[in-house]
Amino acid sequence: MTDNPSETAESPLEGVSALESVSSLDVFAADLAAKVGAESWTADNGTVHVYVTRDKWVDAAITARDEAELGFFSWLSAIDWSKEVAVGEPAADVDNLEERYEVLCRLSSPVADTAAILVTTLAKDDARLDSLVPVYTGAAWHERECAEMFGIDFRGHPNLIKLYLPQEFEGHPLRKSFALGAREVKPWPGHVDVEDMPSVENVEAAAQETDGEEGS
Amino acid sequence: MTQLDHRGIVEVSDGGVSVELRGESMTLNIGPQHPSTHGVLRLVAQVDGERITKLEPNIGYMHRGYEKLTEVRTYAQIMALINRIDWVSGFANEVAFVRAVEKLMGIEPTERAQMIRLILTELTRISNHLLFASSFPLELGAFTPLMYAMRDREYVLDLLESVTGGRFHPNFNRVGGIKPAAGGGKTQKNVSLDLPAGFYAAVESAMDRIERSCEELDELVTGNEMIQMRTKGVGIISYEDAIAFGVSGPNARGSGVPIDLRKVEHDLLPYDGLDFDVITQDGCDAFSRYLVRIGEIRESVKIVRQAIHSVPAGPLVAKVPRVLKVPAGRVYVRAENPKGEMGYYVVSQGGRIPYRVKIRTGSFSNISVMSKVAVGLLIPDLVASMGSLDFVLGDVDR
Repeated sequence: MTDNPSETAESPLEGVSALESVSSLDVFAADLAAKVGAESWTADNGTVHVYVTRDKWVDAAITARDEAELGFFSWLSAIDWSKEVAVGEPAADVDNLEERYEVLCRLSSPVADTAAILVTTLAKDDARLDSLVPVYTGAAWHERECAEMFGIDFRGHPNLIKLYLPQEFEGHPLRKSFALGAREVKPWPGHVDVEDMPSVENVEAAAQETDGEEGS
Repeated sequence: MTQLDHRGIVEVSDGGVSVELRGESMTLNIGPQHPSTHGVLRLVAQVDGERITKLEPNIGYMHRGYEKLTEVRTYAQIMALINRIDWVSGFANEVAFVRAVEKLMGIEPTERAQMIRLILTELTRISNHLLFASSFPLELGAFTPLMYAMRDREYVLDLLESVTGGRFHPNFNRVGGIKPAAGGGKTQKNVSLDLPAGFYAAVESAMDRIERSCEELDELVTGNEMIQMRTKGVGIISYEDAIAFGVSGPNARGSGVPIDLRKVEHDLLPYDGLDFDVITQDGCDAFSRYLVRIGEIRESVKIVRQAIHSVPAGPLVAKVPRVLKVPAGRVYVRAENPKGEMGYYVVSQGGRIPYRVKIRTGSFSNISVMSKVAVGLLIPDLVASMGSLDFVLGDVDR
């Protein structure tokens, strides 16, 4: 990946200590990136990422299917890169983080081990993307899931209603701004599950404990 | 609903006199609480008489939000969580995830741990396929095979329990290797043993049972005329549909897609030295999918028999830091789960918990093809085709 002139620091992966880079994988990734007109690519950890702009999203999928023989639709999902997180650990280097959604779509070969993940970036205030359903029929459910979980609008999707959640559900649960209800009610790790059986000694001991706390 | 292009005519035989009635399209709710839906799956079908004109699977009744939950758990805690995704093949769920974490950390698991992982994965596959062999005929009205398959599945579950301590949720993998076995005990040097005493002999006798079980299933089910009439030519998934919808695993191989991730993903588990075949069928129907699974039980038996003779000696766990901090990076690792391609896309930012984990499960894509397959089927055939897909709702909804 180092000898690729179009490689930019756009990916948050820079500085990652990859395992050993597989040269044939690099060749495949560079070849695919050239075919789909990608901005950049990486092949760390045996996983090929090809970064394309939003307007090339559908064309890139068609090219990958027809010319790179990646006909098997594996999955589609998104990542919410956000400076503030309601739950969990924040992203590394938050100050320089560019807030955005990344939409990822994994395509692989139905007969061999070649595979690639197409990645595109959407601005937070303009989270719209063309649907892949005309290219891969199986994208329909994945895009419905992605739409309800991240609030991304897939234009041209035949039936973009909620998949898992009730239709009247408000909010997008996998966004980093969405709080996890269980953690709001009871912070981790919660209470000890097993309580002692109620007995005279236990009650007296508990009463003494609370007295002691008040005294101190 | 009246706008549908229904056939309009159904034939009703009444006491030998055939009359033709104008069919009226109606909406039929199958599930969520229906014995043939393996849990809580709701199918909304437009039917014209007995024939389905449109079908929409309605999922989410089992949605537990695992992808969100992974964002507030450490990697070790996630391991216990993902056992529950596909709860009939818990061990197979773990392997892809633990390999993903190991790849990000640059840790190679020990060879002994890898071979034990392989054996337990294949035992899980046998138990999963035996559960299929019991539930699938049951949905077609044949009760007896359930008794045979369930009985023999216990021998496999006993093996899993003897090593991991859990029948369904082993939680047995650790980054870099595996836990000491539940029944293993300790040697004098305070080194934990991994496999319980007599494990190999127990495996050999259990595999004999499973082979006999396959023969019994052949006699009871495969050659059964009624089963064949109910399943041959029913629930056709074409090769093209299988690929475009992302149908994977035995369902894809029943449609002639010749891929098995055990042959493809070379750094996942040490399958390379073992001799086994990829079972494919070209029928594309429910019967083909059944045949693939019965064939895979036999292949798994072959694999396990070879693997127990090639477990290398050595440590159980590689050297791993006490606190698991995973270097920043992304990786996708997929494995051949008994249900299909199961994969984890892990995005780490260098901390103790991941920034994002995308869980790809086999059943999700396998079920999505139903809306296409079901058009034109009779309702009893719908039950046969659903059963042949061998899905688990936890695997669909996550």
